[in-house]
Amino acid sequence: MKKLLYLLAGVLLVLMMAACSSDSSTNSEGSSSSSGENATSDTVETGSVDTSVEATGDEDVMLDFWIHQTGEDETNAYIELIDAFNKEHDDIHVNAEVIIDDGASAYSDSINAALVAGNLPDVMAVDGPYVSSFAEAGVIQPIDNYIDEETKSQYVDSIIQQGTYNDQLYSLGAMEASVMLYYNKDLLEEAGIEPANSLEEAWTWDELMKNSKKLTTEDRYGLNLFMNYGVGEWLTFMGAPLAWSNGGALISEDGTKVDGYLNSPETIEALNYVKDLFAEGVVTDSPGEMQFEEGNAALALGGPWIAVSAEDAGLNWGMMPYPYKDEKVSPSGSMAYAVTNNTEDPEAAVELMKWMTNEEATIKISKATGMPPAQKSAFETMEKFNELPWSIMKEQVIQTAHARPATPAYPVLTDAFAQSFHAAALGEDVESVVEQQVQRVERELKRFEE
Amino acid sequence: MKGNSSSAKQLTDQDHYEAPSEPSIKKVPPKRKKRRKSQAFQEALTGYFFLAPALILLGVFLLYPMGAAFYYSFTDFYILKPDDISFIGFENFSYIWQDAQFRQAFWNTVYFSVIVVPVQLAVALGLALLINKKLKFRVFFRTAFFSPVVMSLVVVSILWTFMYNPNEGLINQLLGVIGISPQPFLTSPDQAMNSIIVMSVWQGAGFQMMIFLAGLQNIPNHLYEAADIDGATSWQKFLHVTLPGLKNIALFIFITISIAAFKLLVQPMIMTQGGPLGSTKSLVYHIYETGFNYRDVGYASAMAVVFTMIVLTITIIQRVLIREERG
Repeated sequence: MKKLLYLLAGVLLVLMMAACSSDSSTNSEGSSSSSGENATSDTVETGSVDTSVEATGDEDVMLDFWIHQTGEDETNAYIELIDAFNKEHDDIHVNAEVIIDDGASAYSDSINAALVAGNLPDVMAVDGPYVSSFAEAGVIQPIDNYIDEETKSQYVDSIIQQGTYNDQLYSLGAMEASVMLYYNKDLLEEAGIEPANSLEEAWTWDELMKNSKKLTTEDRYGLNLFMNYGVGEWLTFMGAPLAWSNGGALISEDGTKVDGYLNSPETIEALNYVKDLFAEGVVTDSPGEMQFEEGNAALALGGPWIAVSAEDAGLNWGMMPYPYKDEKVSPSGSMAYAVTNNTEDPEAAVELMKWMTNEEATIKISKATGMPPAQKSAFETMEKFNELPWSIMKEQVIQTAHARPATPAYPVLTDAFAQSFHAAALGEDVESVVEQQVQRVERELKRFEE
Repeated sequence: MKGNSSSAKQLTDQDHYEAPSEPSIKKVPPKRKKRRKSQAFQEALTGYFFLAPALILLGVFLLYPMGAAFYYSFTDFYILKPDDISFIGFENFSYIWQDAQFRQAFWNTVYFSVIVVPVQLAVALGLALLINKKLKFRVFFRTAFFSPVVMSLVVVSILWTFMYNPNEGLINQLLGVIGISPQPFLTSPDQAMNSIIVMSVWQGAGFQMMIFLAGLQNIPNHLYEAADIDGATSWQKFLHVTLPGLKNIALFIFITISIAAFKLLVQPMIMTQGGPLGSTKSLVYHIYETGFNYRDVGYASAMAVVFTMIVLTITIIQRVLIREERG
């Protein structure tokens, strides 16, 4: 009888998941298309200006602006900011286009298509680590001439680091991101483990290993690394700081050489640490979607969005800093804006970028997305970042955030690291896998040798 | 008598008419020819007019891209630099033979096809035979077996990803009930491709089942009656009446499944992203990734050309074999 119930529960679960997933996908599609329409209609609203402009011969600047959509609240916040910009500036008019970002290739496919067809917008949202490849190809242009040092210094360092290629600044972002070591307060208390409550107290690799083992039981894992996100950007975003913390690297400082960096002993050691975590059975390579939220993992190395979902699930949760070996570093980087070479008025375009990333904007976006803001002052204005547990995220973003490597070969490099990380998780021989990946990236790098 | 008189009458009629209208008669035939020519021309024009939508679509979305891919396969087209394309000869093609990922993707695709084609053919035939019997709830079974075909492959892939989950998935829960430990269906390099094969057969077999069913219903009943009179067992009837009757349909299905199997893309893309350790990366997926994620359109085009050659060769071999069997 019990077994039958178990079975029925399983069937129900799958059916529910099916219903949920199909619901959410149709919802998001529906809402995105409708908000897309909103976006265009919102901006067309002020279209009357166009005709009057032509009549007077007064030259108004028209800017096409691509923003990405991952969530509706976020997009609405962008639209409100753009509307405010249009009201504030009589001589600049922004046409926003909302483009779906499904976390895979939908957004970059749009950019690629526009690029080949030669109709890129004036300003577009780009993912932080991809800035270098666009910069190298001359798709986007440096903005140093249009921004003063004081404005620049208001951004957290990692945002400037992320937007810089060959000593020139190309992009500015409104959002930062980070990875925290989340923990289930009840389970830690039960096991008598003391969490780290500030950056100083951050756990070392050994502490993470020891405590994860302690927290692993018959029916629960000690740690969740969100391997269910698939072999992609997540593994580089979350995993690369392990290598950096150990003195390793993914690529040379100037972004032109991986041999001796991706396969350096320090990077290999970091990947072997990952391998050990999996071999000890404290973490699984196929966790359920809500493993941490449902209490089936005591610790989780997750993004800012986990705070939101854990809160929604009613979990008694806390956050700790990213664990370290020698140097304290933490993941960083998010969507940012860049001015394309298609624009006729880079000054107006940079004006728009500054508007979209100023303190007010960054607070608005942070509230809509749960991501940390990109302006230092915003952390002071937003009260939640001055008390635990969010103060830890603030410390991390300001002090230890490390941007992903700036190299035009980033798309191949990130896959190479993600594949190596995944191979380590599966218990493969790290060294030989990394060696293969090094060859792959070296071939790609040849393309950019001049 | 009647005939004679009428023919005589005709003669006289002709004589009567011939004399005055001789000059005009000469003029008439050329006129008719002209009319015929212009008519034929107009008809052809109408024909082409009706064909135009199909031809234009075919040209724009098939022939032109094919030509473009062929051209780009000899270049270093990098998507971020569309204005800086240079001709590099056979460099892309020679790299294919050094590309370990291409080799792996090729053998993955071959493995998938070699298993899926016969299994799916057999399952489809089996289901068709079952449904052709006068069972209770026949319509229900037919609908149930056919329904996966109607569903989007993407949706089916996502559902099966849930079902294959080691910790919470339905299949592992069921295995747990009979005491088998959870299987890493999609996360083990040894099992992932087989898991995708099972799902693909389940999804695709319903369609071929319907074609087989139509074939079964086309086999004349008197053949079975004759076999009954000869005292044939039901196995003998299957072997000597049913199978020969389905031969042409089976060959058609064989070719279509083979081509579809070689184009494997959606399932690994959704379920495993080609992993673990590249064990489910198919040729088309590798081409897609190279072109769109890594922006190397030149090399992706070269692989696409090679892929087309491979599929073309297989199709030609199959055609030749079929012709021989028919003869």
